[in-house]
Amino acid sequence: MNRKIKEPVSFLLPLIFFIAAFLLFPVLGTFWNSLWHDVPFMARRFVAFDNYVGLIKDGQFWQTSFFTIVFACVSVSLEMAFGMITALVLNEKSRLRGALRGIALIPWAIPSVIGARIWQLIFRYDYGVANITLKAIGIGPVNWLGTSVGAFAALVLADVWRTTPFVAIILLAGLQTVPDDILKQAQIDGANIFQRFYRITLPMMKPIIMVAILFRTIDAMRVFDLIYVITGGGPGGTTASLSVYGYKFFLTGDFGYGSAVSVILFIIALTMAVVYIKLGKLRSQ
Amino acid sequence: MNEMKTKRLLRIAGMIFVIIFCSLPFLWMVIISLCERPDFLLQKSLRLTVQNFVDILSVGNLHFLDNLRNSMVISSTAALASTMIGALAAYAISRMPFRGKTSIVLTVLALSMFPQICIVGYLFKIMTRFELINTYSALILPYIAWSLPLALWIQMSYFSRIPIELDKAAQVDGASRIQTLFRVILPIAVPGFLSTILLLFMFSFNEFLFALMLTTDHHARTVPVGISMFQGLHGELPWGYIMAASVVSCIPVILVALIFQKRIIQGLTQGAVKQ
Repeated sequence: MNRKIKEPVSFLLPLIFFIAAFLLFPVLGTFWNSLWHDVPFMARRFVAFDNYVGLIKDGQFWQTSFFTIVFACVSVSLEMAFGMITALVLNEKSRLRGALRGIALIPWAIPSVIGARIWQLIFRYDYGVANITLKAIGIGPVNWLGTSVGAFAALVLADVWRTTPFVAIILLAGLQTVPDDILKQAQIDGANIFQRFYRITLPMMKPIIMVAILFRTIDAMRVFDLIYVITGGGPGGTTASLSVYGYKFFLTGDFGYGSAVSVILFIIALTMAVVYIKLGKLRSQ
Repeated sequence: MNEMKTKRLLRIAGMIFVIIFCSLPFLWMVIISLCERPDFLLQKSLRLTVQNFVDILSVGNLHFLDNLRNSMVISSTAALASTMIGALAAYAISRMPFRGKTSIVLTVLALSMFPQICIVGYLFKIMTRFELINTYSALILPYIAWSLPLALWIQMSYFSRIPIELDKAAQVDGASRIQTLFRVILPIAVPGFLSTILLLFMFSFNEFLFALMLTTDHHARTVPVGISMFQGLHGELPWGYIMAASVVSCIPVILVALIFQKRIIQGLTQGAVKQ
């Protein structure tokens, strides 16, 4: 091998090794596992695509998929709105800017499990702050985590709290690419602050907003930590995401079936990732 | 002038929103950790105490200190290794001419979007096979791989801003590629290198699913798993302990986030936004 090829390969080798061994190989392994019937204390049995046929007939699986999609759509929309507000605030020149940016990073920086625990306590039925506050203004206690609608709302709020800073930071980078002189010129031409935002800032940020939406949607589709801690998928499996559903089979039950659930989630994420990269390529051209 | 007023009003409202929304739940955690009872609002009697902190830091069978030590060792090892490996690859990609560069970068980027659940099942089988379940290696190895896309992406953008003439000059002086990287490029890229390590540390420190599946007790269990597993008597969650443990574990990440706020924002935007 000549030096020209050998050199970059030797620099890339550690990266390729780790990624191949601990990301790519396990994904292929999961595909392979999904073709087996694999329950504890029994010999593995090759069943080809039976697990996938089982998924089609599995009402719980469809409900879980539906929940995952609705959860992703609702939380990403809210995150975009809150993230934009936060980004606009963080972009303002003020003495508080550094402190504000620090504060805004907190929900994202702390472990997601801790965020989940905080919200779990806030939404407790008997002495959670949410219900105590509601009672103080005369609305009866809401059974947040005991009903499917209440649990959904609680989970969305917890997710929005945690990821808004991340969205804000991405959008902030986009905001900084909007040239000041165009905004100034529009102001001179008589456009008010809202018109300037809708007619100039927003359209110029469209590519980066698209990136943020896709990025966050892929991330929200694989949600696990929050749901595992706050509701454990309950009540009655109504708030289980695909990740939580798959994990339950890994824990107890059919490893092959859990792998099949994971493969479905993988295919969804990969499709979206391909769209994301195509968008990126389009933009860099 | 009206315009100025609107703007000021919006600005102040926005700031109040950001401060309240982001910090209130966090402050609630701190308050509960300092309270004798988590239901003090209902009891209408507030008694402050540091007993929760004393307990989690001294009662051995809560294993919080074990979890914290595991987390620190695992996350810093993974962050260091991943940053180094990422630096090597980022250097090759930003400096050496070869084919297939774009596909490597894009593949790595796509990998970072994999759902963890489709990795962890088989990883569990591999780690069982090699008898690594519940060891540091069981987490360090996947964490290195899992954080590599971020490590590569951030450092590529740092390296691409260092003029290539520096490399040429070093090579004229007879330095090899690896010498150029360590003696010329890395010293210049120290801020980037540092913020990459910090970001990756936070990344691994916060990780949950791998740690949940690949550890079984306090010998390797990390902080997030520990906090998710606190159990009290009669199924009642020991909220005081949970929140005290959370406060203590937030200290390192929050210090990092506040001190290196600027660099983290830089690193993240470079990681997430293609230039």
